[in-house]
Amino acid sequence: MNETTPDIEAKIAALEAALANVNTMNSEIFYWWCTALMLAIHAGFLAYEMGASRSKNALASGIKNLLAFAFIVPTFYFFGWWIYLAFPAGLTISEASSAGLPWSANMGPNLTDQASGIFYAAFTLFAATTASIMSGSVIERIRMSGFTILAVFLGSVVWILGASWGWHPSGWLTTTWGLHDVGAAGCVHTIAGFFTLGVLINLGPRMGRYNADGSLNEIPGHNMPMSLIGLMLIVMGFFGFLGGCIIYTADGWLTIYNTPVTLSAFAFNTLMGVAGGMIGAYLMTRDPFWMMSGALVGVISSAPALDVYYPGLAFLISFVGGIIAPKVNDYLVIKLKIDDAVGAVAVHGVTGVYGLIMAGVFASGYYNIEGPQISLIGQILSAAVFVVLGFVPGFGLSYLLKMFGLLRVGSGVELAGLDKVEIPAKAYPEAAVPAFELSPVSPAE
Amino acid sequence: MNTAPMDGWEGAEAYFTFADKPAVIGLLIVAGLAVCAFTIYRMAWHETHAAKRHG
Repeated sequence: MNETTPDIEAKIAALEAALANVNTMNSEIFYWWCTALMLAIHAGFLAYEMGASRSKNALASGIKNLLAFAFIVPTFYFFGWWIYLAFPAGLTISEASSAGLPWSANMGPNLTDQASGIFYAAFTLFAATTASIMSGSVIERIRMSGFTILAVFLGSVVWILGASWGWHPSGWLTTTWGLHDVGAAGCVHTIAGFFTLGVLINLGPRMGRYNADGSLNEIPGHNMPMSLIGLMLIVMGFFGFLGGCIIYTADGWLTIYNTPVTLSAFAFNTLMGVAGGMIGAYLMTRDPFWMMSGALVGVISSAPALDVYYPGLAFLISFVGGIIAPKVNDYLVIKLKIDDAVGAVAVHGVTGVYGLIMAGVFASGYYNIEGPQISLIGQILSAAVFVVLGFVPGFGLSYLLKMFGLLRVGSGVELAGLDKVEIPAKAYPEAAVPAFELSPVSPAE
Repeated sequence: MNTAPMDGWEGAEAYFTFADKPAVIGLLIVAGLAVCAFTIYRMAWHETHAAKRHG
């Protein structure tokens, strides 16, 4: 029997509804796994920072990193997500922001909204990553309470304001100056790096880092292998981060600026960027820590235009970034006497600026959907905004914390080790016990 | 205590606990923020007292 037109129309309608449902669920699944992968960034920073600390401070460094994550999750829920939706135009509040208020019907389980939760989750992990960038630089002398306040401010207020301005389809940095920064080099890395610089200026160096004549003493971490594994985990997590930078739609992938893109484009340029940065940093330092930091430098260098670079170009841009970052770090640490324990200001802050400028050089002329074409001057101006947005709040809040005695531990605590004074657990309980006392065999047998 | 904001699943939209009780949601938000603030306060208190005990 032939089907009637109404039967066929009903079937088509059912198929369209099923397809729409599949698209919705695919989108949820995609961001769910991106969020999970981004936890690897946090695990990576955890290992990296603990390894970069002396053993007497290992657990304090770890706890600090974990506290950043733990506090950013609720604070980003209560006000961070709203800030992103509220301020794309600058400092006036957008009407669309009401969906981000914590009492909104969109901010909990809702059968008609399968997007807010997973986008909140992905952005929260971006926020946690941003705060983690600061946490390594300030190890071994920052108070946990002061650090937590700074991490919440950086992760749930400052960077997300920058993201609203420059990592949003209607952000004013794009609509006014044509900013293009698909991989968030500006709002995450530049802001975090310069916020950290502001904090480091007020925090001061670790005891014994600099001699009276200004010369530098190395303070090696107690576990370089742990740091290397941590940095590799961060690279793995970047695939979740960058995946979360792409918008899944029924009509194909889009960048945050609604320009067309493919996951393949990101795959090409992320890998080439990682490799270029690693090779550049290795060539410059031969140091495994810097080689793996170079991997991060590589991704950040190419991040602003990951969607459009020829992969061979991304490789070279990132290679040069890997050459530059260690030199910048040397200048900061040796000449300016800024004790950045892990080089975050160079790796994230300065490299973020470099990446934005490279996009202005090599991606000039590409069209944005809203706003002028990508231009060098637009990228430079936007980079300047991110630098100021990061540095001023970081310096200002850390100065206030310092005035109230909440920024730095006392010298006695720093000398004894933060773990011994503040942590009710031991990282290496058998470290002081000679090995042969633990076994039934004496050393002579 | 019935915390469901609807009588059944037909036509349900926002279905989280207390979704239809803004006062309760407000209280929960305030409590959540208070938990975060109090914990940071206790963190600072612990650091200060641990340092004093250490001498």
